[in-house]
Amino acid sequence: MSLVFLIGLSWFFAVILGVLDGRRRWVGWLSVAGLTAAFAGVIWLSVLVLRDGTLQMVGGDWAPGVGIVLRADALGVIFASLSTAVILAALIYEVLDGVSSRMFPSLMLFLATGLNGLFLTGDAFNFYVFFEIAMIASYALVAYGEGARQIRAAFIFATVNLLGSVLFLIGVAALYHLTGTLEMAEIAVRTQGVATVPVLLTAVVIFVAFGVKLGLFPFHFWLPVVYTGTRPAVAAVLSGALANIGSYGLLRFGGEILVREREIGATALLVLGTASIIYGALQAISRRRSSEVIAYSSIGQVGYILIAIGIGGPVGFAAAVVYAVINALNKTLLFLCCGLRGWLVGAAFVIAAFSVAGVPPAGGFLGKAALFEAGVSLGSPAGAIAVVVLVFIGGALSFVYMFQIYQRDFWAGEKEGKASPLALRSVALVLAAMILFIGLWPEFLLGLSRQAASVLSGGG
Amino acid sequence: MTLLLSLAIAMLFGAGATLLMKSDLIRIVVGMVLISNAANLFIMASGLSRGFAPLYPLPEGALVSDPLVQAMTLTAIVIGFSITALLLAIAYRAYLDLDSVELDELEEAEEREESEQEKEWRPF
Repeated sequence: MSLVFLIGLSWFFAVILGVLDGRRRWVGWLSVAGLTAAFAGVIWLSVLVLRDGTLQMVGGDWAPGVGIVLRADALGVIFASLSTAVILAALIYEVLDGVSSRMFPSLMLFLATGLNGLFLTGDAFNFYVFFEIAMIASYALVAYGEGARQIRAAFIFATVNLLGSVLFLIGVAALYHLTGTLEMAEIAVRTQGVATVPVLLTAVVIFVAFGVKLGLFPFHFWLPVVYTGTRPAVAAVLSGALANIGSYGLLRFGGEILVREREIGATALLVLGTASIIYGALQAISRRRSSEVIAYSSIGQVGYILIAIGIGGPVGFAAAVVYAVINALNKTLLFLCCGLRGWLVGAAFVIAAFSVAGVPPAGGFLGKAALFEAGVSLGSPAGAIAVVVLVFIGGALSFVYMFQIYQRDFWAGEKEGKASPLALRSVALVLAAMILFIGLWPEFLLGLSRQAASVLSGGG
Repeated sequence: MTLLLSLAIAMLFGAGATLLMKSDLIRIVVGMVLISNAANLFIMASGLSRGFAPLYPLPEGALVSDPLVQAMTLTAIVIGFSITALLLAIAYRAYLDLDSVELDELEEAEEREESEQEKEWRPF
């Protein structure tokens, strides 16, 4: 019951807000209140799940196997809490800054609804439906601001991601045809008995669909245009919350449902991940505008997640979760800092920069360390050395581009001008504090990620 | 039957993909419509059984067609329809801003804007 209620809560607020004028201050704060309630619900659910194990329910009291299954496990609730937190931060930021479009608060809540539903469902087709709810909200959000740049970004974003969604839909239909069920757990069991080749083809289609969402190397072409075109708050949501669909989808489908196919494709994942890291970092170094640098940096950072998934096993999946969480927080903070001026912004930015480069005590160090561990767990010394070298080179390159931005924007005084209101800057500072907290108390996130990896059957 | 369906799906997808390469916003939208219909047809084709419509009363021992794929296709059609409306709305906004539905011209407008920004940029 609680699962439906949780998803319904933000939905309810989204619909109510849809008929109100979001530019009014009280409407903005109402949306913050609604999302805070949803966030509290997600946290409560996470506590329940992490303490008692996976919660499951079948919609409409149907018999299992007939109705749609909603399922909250450790992996799902971690991503749900992360995404809701990021959306909440961006929403507060924008409400403090002054919302300029009446639909903005409502769309943010629809996005939260779609994301939470997607992370908490156990049914492949239901996954697609929530996925589309989140995507449609984000297509409209990219156009927020409604200048020519935003409109163009929205069109490109919608077209490319729609193509990704259609591919995913085809993948789901193919899985249904091969296994005769849409329930994820059941698909995982039944694919074992099906010939490898058709399932492998389906797995490739699904991988491409999530690769487009994440902005992985060969499917990244839309990303810089969109991230630099939209407003900072929207870019923060896209990279901090929406991109989680990609990492969650790869973990869920690769780690639990298509286990055998992930193992076959592991080499391809490692190669693509490496290409993403190198390409993203080199492009980021050669760019000048800070939002562009951060956009290319996101292409590079998701490469690490892909490598961790490619390595697989309990250590690899745990590393992927750790990296996905930290990367989402980093990117949210960086994009929000892009729109800010004044002192303390530099401090928040430096924490995010250290985190991207993997320098302790910022949280990013933990992600890199988890990846090192995963690399060592590979067994073959050559593979371990390759991963360690790659993480080191990637970290060094990201250090260079992050400090190029810092030098330009905060030392050379390019961003001089009126300081942003303290309230806005404090949103960035809270995020920075979270990243520091993760770095200073690593047991918390490491424990969570281990629990998340243990629900993936490939992690056993 | 399977061959016919796959040919139809392939043609729809191919035609849609070709339209996506055009620089006219409206053609891109139409291409998206064709591609999402190719996906709809694919879902229908992935049904597990064929036969009578799954409605009671049924003739004794008759095979019924798979109702689940039809439910899925219906959902996908609704989603595809709403996304088409959204894409058209975005294209219309672009047209209002620039009096054009060419992606190239949108790009030119953006480059102009960007070069103005670059003028303000100075090396440190």
